Amino acid sequence: MKKALIIASLWISFPLLGKADFRMHLGDTLELNVVEVKGPDLEKYAAGQQLLRLQEKDLQDFRGDALTEVLQRRTGLFLRQHGPGMLASLTMRGTSAGHNAVFWNGLPINSPSLGQADFSILPTAAIDQVDIHLGSSGALYGTDAIGGAVHLGTRQLFNQGHRLEVGSVLGSFGRWDRSLAYSYSNQAFSTKTRAYRQHSRNDFPFRNLSRINTPIERMPNGEVTQQGFLQDLAWNISIRQQLHVAIWYNEADRQIIPIIGSNTQDQQQDRNLRAMLDYLHFEGKNTWNVKAGIVFDELIFNIAAVNKTQQYFLSGELDRNWNDRQSSRTGFRLTQIDGQLDTYEAQEQRWELYHSQKILPSPHLTLTANLRQFVYDGNWAPFTPSIGGDWNFLRTANQKLSLGFAAARSFKVPTLNDRFWNPGGNPDLLPEDSYSSEISLQQELTTNGFAIKQHLTLYRMWVDNWIIWLPRGNIWSPENIRSVINSGLEYRAQVEKKMGANHWSFTGIYNWVQAINQTNSSANDQSKGNQLPYTPEHKVMGTLDWQRNSWSAFLSSHWVSERFVATDNQLSVAPYELVDIGFRYQFNFLNTKKLNAGFHINNLLDKEYHIMRLRPMPGRNYQFNCTITL
Amino acid sequence: MKKFTSLLLSLWAAILLISCNPDGNEVPLGEFEKGGILIMNEGAFGANDGEVSFYEFAQESARPNIFEAANNRPFAGLLQDLVEHNGHIYLVANTGKVEVVNAGDFKSVGAVEGLDISRSAIVTNNKLYISDWGPYDANFNSPDSYIAVVENVKGDPIATKIPVESRPEGLFAVNNQLLVASSATRKLSVINLNQDTVSRTLDITGRPSFFFESGNNLFLYAHDASNVYFHEINKSNITISRTITVNLSRATSNFALGTDNSIYIITSTGWPDYNDAVAKVNLSNGSVSNPEFFKGSGFYGIGYRNSAREIYIADNNGFQGNGSVIVVNESGQEVKTFTAGRGPSGFKFRE
Repeated sequence: MKKALIIASLWISFPLLGKADFRMHLGDTLELNVVEVKGPDLEKYAAGQQLLRLQEKDLQDFRGDALTEVLQRRTGLFLRQHGPGMLASLTMRGTSAGHNAVFWNGLPINSPSLGQADFSILPTAAIDQVDIHLGSSGALYGTDAIGGAVHLGTRQLFNQGHRLEVGSVLGSFGRWDRSLAYSYSNQAFSTKTRAYRQHSRNDFPFRNLSRINTPIERMPNGEVTQQGFLQDLAWNISIRQQLHVAIWYNEADRQIIPIIGSNTQDQQQDRNLRAMLDYLHFEGKNTWNVKAGIVFDELIFNIAAVNKTQQYFLSGELDRNWNDRQSSRTGFRLTQIDGQLDTYEAQEQRWELYHSQKILPSPHLTLTANLRQFVYDGNWAPFTPSIGGDWNFLRTANQKLSLGFAAARSFKVPTLNDRFWNPGGNPDLLPEDSYSSEISLQQELTTNGFAIKQHLTLYRMWVDNWIIWLPRGNIWSPENIRSVINSGLEYRAQVEKKMGANHWSFTGIYNWVQAINQTNSSANDQSKGNQLPYTPEHKVMGTLDWQRNSWSAFLSSHWVSERFVATDNQLSVAPYELVDIGFRYQFNFLNTKKLNAGFHINNLLDKEYHIMRLRPMPGRNYQFNCTITL
Repeated sequence: MKKFTSLLLSLWAAILLISCNPDGNEVPLGEFEKGGILIMNEGAFGANDGEVSFYEFAQESARPNIFEAANNRPFAGLLQDLVEHNGHIYLVANTGKVEVVNAGDFKSVGAVEGLDISRSAIVTNNKLYISDWGPYDANFNSPDSYIAVVENVKGDPIATKIPVESRPEGLFAVNNQLLVASSATRKLSVINLNQDTVSRTLDITGRPSFFFESGNNLFLYAHDASNVYFHEINKSNITISRTITVNLSRATSNFALGTDNSIYIITSTGWPDYNDAVAKVNLSNGSVSNPEFFKGSGFYGIGYRNSAREIYIADNNGFQGNGSVIVVNESGQEVKTFTAGRGPSGFKFRE
């Protein structure tokens, strides 16, 4: 039993369980009720900024889906989605697709050649938890985190015994997903193995706007198959040491849906192997962490164009709780990147040093400061400091009000394609550079049986040296041309109420984004002063959840304002609103066994819509999911 | 008396608005047949946002997206060429279709589908002929190029495909023969229109692109890295009667025929320097009057307005948004600029 009592420093958090699941003593140690593999506390040095956490409950309605759907339908974020199952790139706070860092169990997984992640090949089947860091956070995470960061993680528990989970999803347009997971854990050792296969003919009806009388046709080239496996292993080596190993292989074979009016029959295969080893050593006030990992990406377009990159990571850090009021984290990360791309080969070494400091001048005030220096191939990226604070200025029996502020510098190093693509790559590109500031107000209130949480953030960001590709004759080449000022507002409200056996909850989100281009790329360009393309100014999302005993249901809707197609803001794609509805039933049998069944109707009102111009999305569609846990 | 005056005025106005079409029938001119310029906007690669703008001389601005406005649906393609014949305009999309619209109001009257990478079109012998690169092979070559034959000039399924040399571009019909300029293999193919088969092919110096007539003479424009070639074609026996070689490097296939035997040609240094220019060339002797008559970047199309003796240069503005048109006088001075659509690439003047 001794091993069940883990002595850990305050460095450790328990993100998968939520704050209610652990008991923290004010000293240097804490005691866990349930032991699990620990990850870094993302919030610890991020005072003044909001981290949005999506856990198993939030992901359960998206079994078999890609992360795209979760973010598009349940958050205020917007993804530039080229069609169902097709390329989906995230834009945070009005920045571009590559301006957000994406991590899996702490490893950066943005493609070093493309500089971004395709969220349609990040299936929820391989993810237990998503943490979304809203706002500029380069000092905490390194390159790319100009608009924010997304952390994907797996959950690994100890002392749970054997568990087998079999799941399947059947849906419209030939969709059939299957998943199998087995886990076993005792006090010292934990293993979880899962495999999944997802297939969709994706031949949804759409209106062919390129033809006379705009007939309704079936999508001819959209079949998607995605499969993979994931292995987690963890050991409590001693009461002071823990080891976590995770390996994730995912492959996606996709026909690429052509834009309306084109008859292309492109296809793309993506293969991604990610593996990491995480070693933690707890020693009094110190927690040592060594992490090693690999991320191998392979993208094959139309069979002939093969693009491979390999990233190797080694990082180490020390987190020390100096006393009750002060802690710090210091670390390094080394990265070796090898790329064999379709038109070039490249290598790159990166190293980065960082330091974070947290101070609590009073019990109601938390201040954090972060510093990071990143060097790539001998080029010094902008030195990135950030500061933040949370001031809990009102605390009563039923209400807590706090004020947050943060200011940060962030950057994005040019991608391998930006620098080395042949022809056109520009090796002289500078990193994209940003400054941002934000203030926020947070309220937690309980009144008349309602538990209310509200969060309002106002931000402003200046991004310079923004890289865009411009035609130079027949060849396109990137340049540090653009400068953009982003400003906006994020509002989120959660209301919960229990009425007898009925449990109601509502989440409402409103995001307002202005991303205004400050530069013209040529003498006659008319981009200055306009909103960036495919950056909706408004997004509203509301989800109502109901639960009663074994039954639960949701009604969710989101509305996205018009998106301009180009920087001159002359042509736009119409706003759209979607309504989704779903029912779930959980049946318990043989004491610990469970059967979960759900039925969803997506796009209930059968709206014809395009997220991007001439890229149709499906109308009303249905899905049935079933999971048996033994 | 007042009524009579009104009637006379109306008649006078009606006469002004009437022109003769090639068949000799008198029909009133439509709104896009007078008082402006049809501007072909190719659109951005992968976005299928090609369209046509109509610059109105009276308003001194361009009406965008006239195809979508007339038909309540987007063009949804990349616009490669715009060809007029007998009251119809053929909008050739290199994304696999040709839309046929009324020249006057741009209302759709038909379409040809099932094409691959269409480049140009011509109506002759009451049939529609479309040059098409055919599908790319694995190395992005075009070994299966063809001329699509459509029996109904208002659009229909493709009746037959005539295989031709790789990458056909411009077309010209003469004496029941169709001339096809193929840029990849540098050939001129001659199609016998009675049988719709290639009767013979000629080798061409330089990369041929388009045919044009100056006076009664037929020329084929071709270029390579160092020179521009004006190949004069003997219409009676389809041979190259003479070739005028112009010592002009880095020319593109974009040119416009001016007055007084002058031709304006867009040149581009390409990547990485990327300096574009308009060169002024004398067609009669092949001399370069001015290699940098007008300089800039992003030059994507060119036209010449005879009535005003002005050169219209299309600027793609880096495809970041809509392009612009720069109007230049014969002295090479900028007269004005105005906004067109995405990737403006050509002009049809409607005086």
